[in-house]
Amino acid sequence: MNRPIHRFMLLVGAAALLSLFTFACGGNSEDTDKPSPPRSGVEQAAPADQQKLVVHGGEPMFLDPQLSRTGQDIAIERMLFRGLYRIVLTEDGDLETQPALADGEPEVDGNVYTIRLKAGLQWSDGRVLTAADFEYSLKRGCSPDTMAPYQYLLGMGALNIVGCDEYLMTMGKSPEEQAAQRDKVGVKALDATTLEVTVAAPKALFTTYMSLWPTYPLRQDIIEQYGEAWTAPENIVGNGPFVLSEYAPKDHITLTPNQYWSLTPKPQLQEITIKFIDDTAAAMRAFQTGELAVAQVPPVALADLEADPSLAGEVIQVPSPRLWFINLQLGNEALSDENVRLALSRAIDRETLVNVIYAGAYSPATYWVVEGLPGYQGDKFDSIIGYDPEAAKAALAEAGYPDGQGLPTLKLTVVDRPDRKAEAEFLAKAWKDVLGIQVEIEAVDSRSMGQIFGTGQFDLLPGGWQNDYPDPESSLIGNFDTGGMNNLRGCSDPEIDSKLQAAAAEEDNSKRISLLQDAEDLVIGTLCGVIPLYQPSFVFLVSDGIGGIEPSGGIDASLPGDWCPECWFVKADE
Amino acid sequence: MTGYILRRILWIIPVLWVVATVTFFLMHAVPGGPFTEERPLPPQVLDALNRRYELDQPVWRQYLSYLWDLLHLDLGLSFRGDRDVAEVIRGGFFVTAQLGLLSMLLSLTAGLTLGTLSAVNRRGFFDYLGVAVATLGASVPSFVLASVLIVVFGVELGWFQVLGWGGPTHVSDFFDPSAWNLRKIVLPVVALSALPTAYIARVTRASLLEVLDQDYIRAAYAKGLTQRTVVLRHALKNAMIPVLTITGPMAAAFVTGSFVIESAFSIPGIGRAFVDALSQRDYGVIMGMTLFYTAAVTFANLAVDILYSVFDPRVRYG
Repeated sequence: MNRPIHRFMLLVGAAALLSLFTFACGGNSEDTDKPSPPRSGVEQAAPADQQKLVVHGGEPMFLDPQLSRTGQDIAIERMLFRGLYRIVLTEDGDLETQPALADGEPEVDGNVYTIRLKAGLQWSDGRVLTAADFEYSLKRGCSPDTMAPYQYLLGMGALNIVGCDEYLMTMGKSPEEQAAQRDKVGVKALDATTLEVTVAAPKALFTTYMSLWPTYPLRQDIIEQYGEAWTAPENIVGNGPFVLSEYAPKDHITLTPNQYWSLTPKPQLQEITIKFIDDTAAAMRAFQTGELAVAQVPPVALADLEADPSLAGEVIQVPSPRLWFINLQLGNEALSDENVRLALSRAIDRETLVNVIYAGAYSPATYWVVEGLPGYQGDKFDSIIGYDPEAAKAALAEAGYPDGQGLPTLKLTVVDRPDRKAEAEFLAKAWKDVLGIQVEIEAVDSRSMGQIFGTGQFDLLPGGWQNDYPDPESSLIGNFDTGGMNNLRGCSDPEIDSKLQAAAAEEDNSKRISLLQDAEDLVIGTLCGVIPLYQPSFVFLVSDGIGGIEPSGGIDASLPGDWCPECWFVKADE
Repeated sequence: MTGYILRRILWIIPVLWVVATVTFFLMHAVPGGPFTEERPLPPQVLDALNRRYELDQPVWRQYLSYLWDLLHLDLGLSFRGDRDVAEVIRGGFFVTAQLGLLSMLLSLTAGLTLGTLSAVNRRGFFDYLGVAVATLGASVPSFVLASVLIVVFGVELGWFQVLGWGGPTHVSDFFDPSAWNLRKIVLPVVALSALPTAYIARVTRASLLEVLDQDYIRAAYAKGLTQRTVVLRHALKNAMIPVLTITGPMAAAFVTGSFVIESAFSIPGIGRAFVDALSQRDYGVIMGMTLFYTAAVTFANLAVDILYSVFDPRVRYG
C-alpha cells in the first residue's frame, strides 16, 4: 500500500533536483570576465573585442564632481573628467604633479597665475573645450547654490581664490548681490585657451590643487538645461577618457571610451563595468569564481591569500593615505593633562593590536603624516609615545593618579562593528592591565557616531583621517590649528598655530615641508588631541590578465590604479 | 463576500496612517541624521543640506508636510542622489519579486513534498529524513548557508555564479532571453528557500498527520481508493489550512526581500535598500519602504483569508 505514493513523491523530488543540475551544467555559460592568465614576458594587449573589464567598486552618491565627497565618486569622476593638472606615479615610484589639460606650468606674477590650455581639447559630444568652461566650473564651485562640500579647497582651505569664500557667504541674499559677488571671484578666461586665476597669496601647491576634482571643467549649457539630472547617462558630458554608458542603481555602472578624448594615452579598454558590492568578502568570492577581475578584499584575508598558490601572485597590499587614531577631547579635565595622554598612549601595544585584530595587514603607527607622503617621519616618535608600560605608569603617577586612583571613568565611543568593538576591548584591557583604569565602551551606529563626533561630545573616540591630496598639509591644517574646521578635539597651541600659518604661506617647497614636520613634532610630542594607532592598508586581488594597473596609496581614490584608468588593458593570451 | 473584501481594503487606510505616524516619529527620535557622517561636513554645508531637505523644521511640521505629500501619492526623494523614493522601491521590488516568487515556488514544492513524504511514511525512513532536513533548514542561519553554497558550488566547483541577480532588471527585458542568466539565479533562490521549506515541511507533516487520522480517510481507504488518490486528492487539500496561514506572511516577507541573501549575493533588491536606508537615515526611503511593507502584509493576509474559503467550504464571509 505504501509503494505508489512513495514512488510518486520520489519522482517529484528527483525531477526537482535534476532540473537544478541542468542549470549548472547546461545553462548559459556566461563566464564573462576573467581573462586567462598569459605568461609571455612582454605585456601585449588582447584584441579589441576582448578589452572588457568587470571590477568591484562602491556605488557613487553623486557623479557631479563638485558635490562629491567620497572616494568611490571620485574614482569614477576621474574616468569621466580631467582637470588642468594631475598627479601621477612616476617610474621611480614618486608622486609628481604634471600638466593634463594645461600646456605646461602656469606663469606666476605675484598673486596671479596664468594657465595656457593645450590645443584641440574637446568635450565628449565633440564641442570645443575652452577656458570659459573652467571659469564657469571654478565659480560654480564657490557658489552658494552648489554648496560644494569641498568648496574650502577653492577657498581659504587651499587655493584661496580671491572672492570665493565671499561668494559662498552670499547665500540667502538677493540674486543681484550674488551675481555681483560672482563677478568678483578671481577666475577669468582671457581667451579660449588662457585662464587667469587670482589668489589671495601665492601657493607652492597651486598645480596640485588644480588637479583635484572640484576644479574639473564643467559644461554650463548641459547643467542649466538638465538641472540635477545632468549626470544621467543620457545627459552627461565630460572630457575624460571614458563616458558613462549605463547606470543601474545598486547594481553597476558601465563606461566606454570617449572618442573625443584629447590627451594620451588613448584608452585600450572598450568597456569597464563597475559592480557595486558592499561586502568585501562577497567580492573576494566573486573574484574566485571569475566574475570580477579586480576586487577589494577584507584585510584580514591577506595572510591566507598569500599562502594560497593560485592567488598569491594576484594579491596586492596598498598602504592607504589614511591614519587611524584615537581622538581625545581636550575639554575633558583628565585628558587636558598631557601626562594622562602620554600614559594612555604608552600603554598601547600597537604591534599586538594590529596582529591580533587585523592579522598583521596594517602597520602600527606613532606618526601622524602617513607613509607614502613627503615629510613622512617614520618611527621617530616611538620613544616618546610608543609602547612602554613602565613609562606609562610613571606618566600617570606624575599626573597625580598613581595606579589609576582618582582618575574619572572615561568613555570610549566606537562604531558598532565587530572589528571596532574588538579594538575597543583591546584598548580597554590594555589600559586596565597597565594603568589600572576603567574605561566605559559605548558602541553606536555610524550616523550617531557622526553626530557625537561632530558636536565634540566625546572623551575617547577612535577615528580616521584620509588625506584629500598627497601632502602633509592636508592632514595638519584644519585639524590642529586653533578653531580649525576639523579641530573638534580642542587642540589649541600657539606654537602649532604659528608653524602651520608659516607653512601655509611658504613658497619654497622644502622649507614648507620642514615647517609641517615641526608642526607634526609638536602635535605628537604633546598628543594634542590624537593618539596615533596604525596606518591601514587596502588589500586587492587583481587578475593576472590585466595590465596597466599601478596602485598608489597616495593618489588612488578607491580602485587600485584609478589615477590612470586609460592605462588599463586586458593582456593577450599566450 | 465582495462587501467583506471592500471593507478589508478600506481598513488599510487607517492602518497605513498609524504605521506612518509611529514610524515617522520613531525615525526622528533616533540620534544622528542623514548628513552626520564620521568625517563631519563643514558647518555651512550641513546647514544648507538640512535646509534643502527641510530637516531644519520642527518635527511636527515635517510630519504634516510628509502627510500632505503622501495624500498626493508623493513619497518624496532619497537623500542619496535625489532619486524618487517610488522609483527606488519600484526598481528594487522588481528584482526582489523575481527572487521571492522563485523562492516561494521552490519552498512550496519542496516543503509540501517533504512534509507529505514524512507524514505518509510516519516513523519510516523518509519521515526521519524529512524531519532532519527540515530541522537543518530551520536551524542553519541564512548567511551561513549562503556562504557555504557560495564557497562549495560557486568557488570550488564552479557550477554557479555568485555575483548579482540573473534576471532582467527592467520590465521591458522580461521576455528577452539574454537578460536571464540561470547560473546566477540558482544559489540565491536555494539559500532563501531553506528556512521556508523547512517550516512548510513541518507544518504540512503535522497537519497531514492529523488529517490522515480522521475517520473519513479510513472510509476512503475502505472504499478501495489507492493511497495516491486518498492523499493527493483528499487529504492534502484538507491539510492545507495551516500551511496557508503561514504562506501569507511568508509571501509578504519574500516580497520585501531578505537583506542577508541580497547582501551575500550583491542583489539589487529592496531588502538591501531598506537596511541601507536605515543605517544612512534616508528618511524618505525608510518611510516609503515601511508603508510598502505594511501594504504588502495587509494584502497578503487578505489573500490568505480569501483562499481559506476556497480550501474550506465551511468558511464563509459576510
